[in-house]
Amino acid sequence: MRFAFYPGCLVLQRMPEYEASTRAVLRQLGIELKTVQQAACCGSPIVESFTPDWVYLAAYNLALVERMGHDVVVTVCGGCTNTLTRAALALQDPEACAEANRRLEPLGLTVAGQVQVRHVVRLLAEREEELGARVVRPLSARVAITNPCQAFRPGDVMGFDDPLEPQSLRRLVELTGAEVVDYGGEDECCGATLYLANRQLSLAAGRRKLEAVREADLLLHSCGNCQLLLRRFQGLIVRDEPGLRKPALFLPQLLGLALGLPEEELGLREDVVSGWETDKRMQRMGDG
Amino acid sequence: MGLAGGYVEVKHPEACIQCGTCVTVCPVEMVGGHAIVTFLADPEASDYSVWLCSSCWRCQEACPAGVNIYELMMEERRRQPAPGGYRDAFEKVLACGLVLEVVQEELDQNRAAWGLEPVELPSPDLARVLLR
Repeated sequence: MRFAFYPGCLVLQRMPEYEASTRAVLRQLGIELKTVQQAACCGSPIVESFTPDWVYLAAYNLALVERMGHDVVVTVCGGCTNTLTRAALALQDPEACAEANRRLEPLGLTVAGQVQVRHVVRLLAEREEELGARVVRPLSARVAITNPCQAFRPGDVMGFDDPLEPQSLRRLVELTGAEVVDYGGEDECCGATLYLANRQLSLAAGRRKLEAVREADLLLHSCGNCQLLLRRFQGLIVRDEPGLRKPALFLPQLLGLALGLPEEELGLREDVVSGWETDKRMQRMGDG
Repeated sequence: MGLAGGYVEVKHPEACIQCGTCVTVCPVEMVGGHAIVTFLADPEASDYSVWLCSSCWRCQEACPAGVNIYELMMEERRRQPAPGGYRDAFEKVLACGLVLEVVQEELDQNRAAWGLEPVELPSPDLARVLLR
């Protein structure tokens, strides 16, 4: 199997620590990622909201992976996973596939829709045992997870885990020794996409989560959008109650730490993960 | 909310039994926003907007009647004026192929600092070729 890496807009430009830690952890499992060059927006949900042609934009990204000769494209956000997977399915229709190829022709590309799309949670969950065996530094932290919605839904298309109450992210966190806090919002969307239409409601959705996870030491995400709202916009959410502030990690950062990888390689430093050196909850984490 | 109100008439799906399951699982409803699910539960409702959906697919997954809520909503979005945030992001994609604009040189420097392999940005006219 040859694995391509599709970073998507947000992670490519704003969250290199997510890509770096994903690569570092997968390397431990013998998986090397080759980045898709010239990749465009996945289409979710912005382009899809304006035109049914979003599928050709997604098809373009799949065509790039096919040109690389890779079998699998690894994604790190829910939305990218969702649109690329749905596009691959749509391309199974011969007419849709022919139209996609007509549009790709001026770009010198062809597409068949045979590439497998794998969100990093799925890829790691399918290697859970091997990961567990590699834990050398058990962690002790209370972790509040938010499942990346669109990586699991629609269930009949994604075909992985329980679409309404997925367990794989929880299990991956637990294999580090960390405790997953039950706060009732694990399966509730972060609300990041809502920010494009109504900032107040989006921040209210974030607030709802932060208020529910008071007992947690940190937030844990596996999607750029969750991190965008719940970490980057956290200051806006908790302006009047700084006590709600909480450090936030990406899944591969936590896993990498448990695997004994160097913190620098995982982007675990104060200027990347606010609170890493200054928050007592983070300092206790390696005492497991 | 008013973003959707009055522009076009949304056709209520025949398969919908108005059980309200979608409303109970919607994260937007939980914070007082009214998205497409408000209309599904009550076709007379006018205080909802199809743009107030966070695209989490939870309503559709939970729907006992199998209504394709997501597609219904997307079709309505394409007929209605978009909020500025969506419009701006779409314009960005049309202009550079990505939702966020970045200069190649900056990206190169940032990735080099992280020890990540260089990434070439898409051709700027890409979206205009693919989306007609």
